[in-house]
Amino acid sequence: MRRARVMALVLAAAAMLGSCHAGDRRTAISVQRFFGECDAAYGRNTDPATAEGECGIMTTLLNRFQAENPDIRLDLNIVAWPGYAQLTAQIAAGDPPDLVTMHQSMISDYQGRGLLEPVDALLDEAGLPPGTFTAAGRRGVTKAGHFYAMPWDTIGGLFHVNTKLMAQAGLMKSGRPVFPTNPDELLALARQFKARTGKPYFVQSEVNDPASDVHNLYSYLLAQDAIIFPDARHVRLRTPEAKRIVELFRRIEVEGLSTHHQDYPAALASFMHGEGGIFPVGTWVLGSFEQEAKTPGRPLYNAYAVYPFPHLWGRDASFVDGHSWVMPKRKRTPEQKAAVAHFFKFMAAHNFDWSRTGHIPAVEAVVESPKFQSLPHRKDIAPLALTGEQLPDYVQRQSAIQGLIGEELASAIAGTKSVDQALADAERRVDELLGQVL
Amino acid sequence: MSAPRDRLPLPALIGVVIGAAIMVAPLLWTLILSLKDNAALMRDSATAFAPPWTLANYAAILRGSSTFHWLVNSMIVSLGTTAGVLILCSLAGYGFARLEFPFRRALFVFVLLGLAIPEQAVILPRHQLFAQLHLHNSYPGLILPGLVSSFGVFFMTQYFRAIPRELDEAAMLDGASRFTLFWKVLLPLTLPAQATLGVFTFLGSWNDYWWPLISATRSERFTLTVGLASSQMNYAQTSGLGFLMAQAIFASIPIFIVYILFQKQIIRAIAGAAVR
Amino acid sequence: MNRTTRRYEGFLFVGPFLFLYLFLLVYPLILGIGVSFHRADPFGGRLWVGLDNYARLLADPVFWQAVVNTFKLTLLIVPPLTILALALALALNRATRSAAIFRGIFFSSSVLSVTIVTLIWRFILTPDGGLIANILHATGRDPIPFLSDPHLTIPALAIATIWWCLGLPMMLFLAGLQQIPPDVYEAAALDGAGRWTTLWRITLPSIRRTLILVVMMQTAAQLQIFGQAQLLTAGGPSGASRPIVLLIYEIAFGRWELGYGAAAAELLFMLVLAVTLVQYWAVTRREADA
Repeated sequence: MRRARVMALVLAAAAMLGSCHAGDRRTAISVQRFFGECDAAYGRNTDPATAEGECGIMTTLLNRFQAENPDIRLDLNIVAWPGYAQLTAQIAAGDPPDLVTMHQSMISDYQGRGLLEPVDALLDEAGLPPGTFTAAGRRGVTKAGHFYAMPWDTIGGLFHVNTKLMAQAGLMKSGRPVFPTNPDELLALARQFKARTGKPYFVQSEVNDPASDVHNLYSYLLAQDAIIFPDARHVRLRTPEAKRIVELFRRIEVEGLSTHHQDYPAALASFMHGEGGIFPVGTWVLGSFEQEAKTPGRPLYNAYAVYPFPHLWGRDASFVDGHSWVMPKRKRTPEQKAAVAHFFKFMAAHNFDWSRTGHIPAVEAVVESPKFQSLPHRKDIAPLALTGEQLPDYVQRQSAIQGLIGEELASAIAGTKSVDQALADAERRVDELLGQVL
Repeated sequence: MSAPRDRLPLPALIGVVIGAAIMVAPLLWTLILSLKDNAALMRDSATAFAPPWTLANYAAILRGSSTFHWLVNSMIVSLGTTAGVLILCSLAGYGFARLEFPFRRALFVFVLLGLAIPEQAVILPRHQLFAQLHLHNSYPGLILPGLVSSFGVFFMTQYFRAIPRELDEAAMLDGASRFTLFWKVLLPLTLPAQATLGVFTFLGSWNDYWWPLISATRSERFTLTVGLASSQMNYAQTSGLGFLMAQAIFASIPIFIVYILFQKQIIRAIAGAAVR
Repeated sequence: MNRTTRRYEGFLFVGPFLFLYLFLLVYPLILGIGVSFHRADPFGGRLWVGLDNYARLLADPVFWQAVVNTFKLTLLIVPPLTILALALALALNRATRSAAIFRGIFFSSSVLSVTIVTLIWRFILTPDGGLIANILHATGRDPIPFLSDPHLTIPALAIATIWWCLGLPMMLFLAGLQQIPPDVYEAAALDGAGRWTTLWRITLPSIRRTLILVVMMQTAAQLQIFGQAQLLTAGGPSGASRPIVLLIYEIAFGRWELGYGAAAAELLFMLVLAVTLVQYWAVTRREADA
C-alpha cells in the first residue's frame, strides 16, 4: 500500500508540473507551424536579422512577437512538414489551433468543408487591405470572393547552381551558367559535366520526397499549356506532354546524371559539400545556401548562383505555391481575435525578414523595395514571381494527390514501372481519390 | 533450476559474444554521435569516431528543449495507465476467479475475445468517439484506451484461481467481507503478478505510438514517442544529428533505469507467470 | 450478507473493467464496421455505399502490395526471431553472473520505444553517413542504400525489428526452460544421450507450449507493424515497404477516406484472426495426432 501512496504522490506532483499554466491571465492563441524545430540554436533569439534559414527566422520572429506583446501568450506547436495529418486529426477532434501555417494549395480542401474562417475583417483591422499583398499572394488565398488566409510568401522551384563545378565543366559563360533550351541540350550538357568533373550534374532528393518530382512535372506541363486537371474530379496524365517530361527524368536517372538514394537532408548536405552541379529544389533554401557561399573555407564559397528553371518546352512557366496563415473555425473570444489581428500586422511588417530565406514575399511593398531587390540573387529569380502559376481552385486534396503522383513518378524514374504504366496508375489513383471526395 | 551443467561450447560462446556486440553497437554509435558537435557531423559522420567530444547537445536539451516535457508526459501517461490496469484487472480478476454471478463464464469468454481484437480495428472510430467527448490532447484521453487490457484480466484471473481457497474460507470464518478478503488477504499475495503485469503495462504504454500520434497532436501533450518521431521527421531543419541522437539517449535513460531497477522482478515474474 | 446480494457482488468487481471494455473496445469495433460501409471523411461527412469500399480494396493493387509486404515482413521476422531467441535462451540458461549480464544486454533493446529504435537504426542504415556506410567506406566499398532500394527496405525493417524484439521471446523461452525438471536431464545423461539428442528429444518438446505461444504472439504482432515502416522508410520507395497498417494511416489521415480506411482495418482484422486460427488448428491437429 505504501507503493500505491508513493505512486499517487508522484502522479499528483507530475500533474501539477503539467498544469503550470493555471492562473495565466493573458490572452492565449495557439499557433501551429512547420519549418522545423531549432530551439537549441534560436530558442531565445529575438533579432531576425541574425537568424538564418526557415526554422531560424520563423522561431526568432515568433520569439520577437512574444517579447513585443507581453499581454498575448503564443502557445506554439511545431509539427513535422506538412502537418496536415495532424491538423486533420485536430479539427476532427474539435480542437484545432487558432493559427496554422498552410500551403495555399491546401486551402480549398479545408475551406470547401467549411473548416476555415474568412479573415478579411481581421486583415482590415490589422491595416492590411487586399492591395497590401502581391497578385500571386491574393490569388492563392482568395476562395469564393473572400480571403481565407493571410498570404505569407510565394514558393517556387529554382535551379541552385554550384558555379565552381560548372566552370570546371566548361559550362559558364560571362559569369552565368549555360542553361539548356531543350531536353536534348540538357542531356548533352549534363553528360559534359559528368565527363569533365566526374560528378553528377544534378543533386536530387529522391527518397521519400514526392513533392519535388511532382512540382517539376506540374511546371513543365504548365509550360506546355497542358491541362492537368480538366475538372474537379479528374486529372489528365496520360498525355504526350507528361510522357516527354517523365521520360527525361528517367533518362537522367539511367545515365547516372544525378545523385542516387538521397533523402532531403542528404541531398542538402550533398549540394553544400560540392558533390553536384545543380540542385533543382526551391526558394526556401536560398538563404541557407547564400550563407554557405559567404563563408570562407566552405565548398560553396563564392560558388553559388540561383535561377528559375530553364525552359525546356513551350513557354516560360513554373508551378508555384505559397505559405499562408489560416484560422481554423473554432470559438474565439474578441480578445483572441484581436490578438490574431496583431499577429497578422506583426508578420506583415516582418515579411522582409522572412524573405531572407529565399521565398518571395507576399507583401507587395517588400517585393518592390530596394532592400529586398538588393538581397543576393533576388534579381536573378525575379522572373519567378511573374511566370508562377498555381493549380485551379477547384482541385482538392492536393497534398494527397502529390503523394500519389509522386509515388508513381518515383517508380517510373527508378524503372520499376514503365513510364506509361506509372502515368496510367497515377491517373487512375488520382481519379479514384477525387471521385471519393464527398 | 534445470540448467545444463557443462560449460557452453566455444562456437556458442563466440556466437553469444558476437550477438551481444551487435546488440550493443547501435546504442554505442548513437552515444558517440550524441557527443559530437553538430557542424562536425554535418561534414562527415565518421568524425564521431575521434575526439573532440562534447556534452553541448545534452546541455541544449537541459537548457530548454521540449524533450524533458515529453518525458514527463510519457511518465504521467504510463504510470496512470499502469495504476489503472492493476486496479481494474485485479478487481475483475478476483471477481471472475472467486465470485459466482450470473453469466460469469460467458462474460469471461467475452472479455477474452478482446485479445483477438487488433488496434487498427478500433483506433479510427475510437478517435471519432473521443473527438465527440472532447478527450483529445488530454491525459485521460491517452490513459483510458490503455486500461482495456483483456490480457490483464486473464492474467490476474489465472493468478487468483491458483491461490488456495482455504485462505478465503479462513478469512470468511473470521467475519471478513468480500472486499476486505480481497484487499487485505488475497491482493497482497498477488504482488509478483502485479509486478509482472505492471511492468508489461508500463512498457506497452511507454511504447505506444499510433494512438498518441493522432490523439496528442499538440506539442504540450506529446509523449516521448511522438515527440521523437516529430524530431526525426523534422531532421533536415533541426539542430542537427548530434542533438537528435542526444534526444534519443536522453529519452532512453529513464526507461533503462526502470529496467535495471525492476530487472529482478521482471525475470522472477516471467518465470512465475510461465508456470501458471 | 444475504444470498441475493452475494449473487450480484461479483458485478461490482468486474463492472468497472467491463464498462470500459464495452465503451472503449466493443463500441468502437461496431462503429468501425459501420463506417466501413460508408464513404466518410474525418469531419463527419457520411454516405452509405454498402460493400463498395471492400470491393474497391480487393481490386486495389496498392492494397495487395501492402498485403504482400506485410506477409514478407512477418515471414522475415518471426522465424529468425524465434530461432535466435530460443538459441540465446538455451545458451544463457545458466546461473552464472556472465549469463545474467548477457541476458540483460539482449533484453535491453526491448524496453525502448519504436521511435527511439527507428532513430537509432536510421543512422546505422542510411547510406549517407550511417554506421554501416562508414564501415563500408573504411573498407573501400560503396554505401548500401538500405532505406531506399526496393529490394532492401523490407530486409532493413526486418533487421531493425528483430534487434528490437529479441528480448521478450528470449525471456519467455528462458522461463519455459527453467521449468524442465533437472531429473529429466539427469536421466538423459545416464542414458548416454548426447547434447543434440537432449536438445531435440527432451528440451524442445518440453517448451512446446512456450514455442507455440511465442510464434503466435509474434505473428499477430508483426502483421500489424507500423512505426518502423512509417519512420524508417515511409513505406517507400513507392510503397515497396508499406505494410497494411501504414496504408490505413495514409488512407485515413492523408487521403481523408475514413470509410475506405475502416474497411482496410476490418480486412486486416480478419486476416490476423484467420492466421491465428490456422496456427491454432495446425497445432491442435498435431497434438491430436501425437
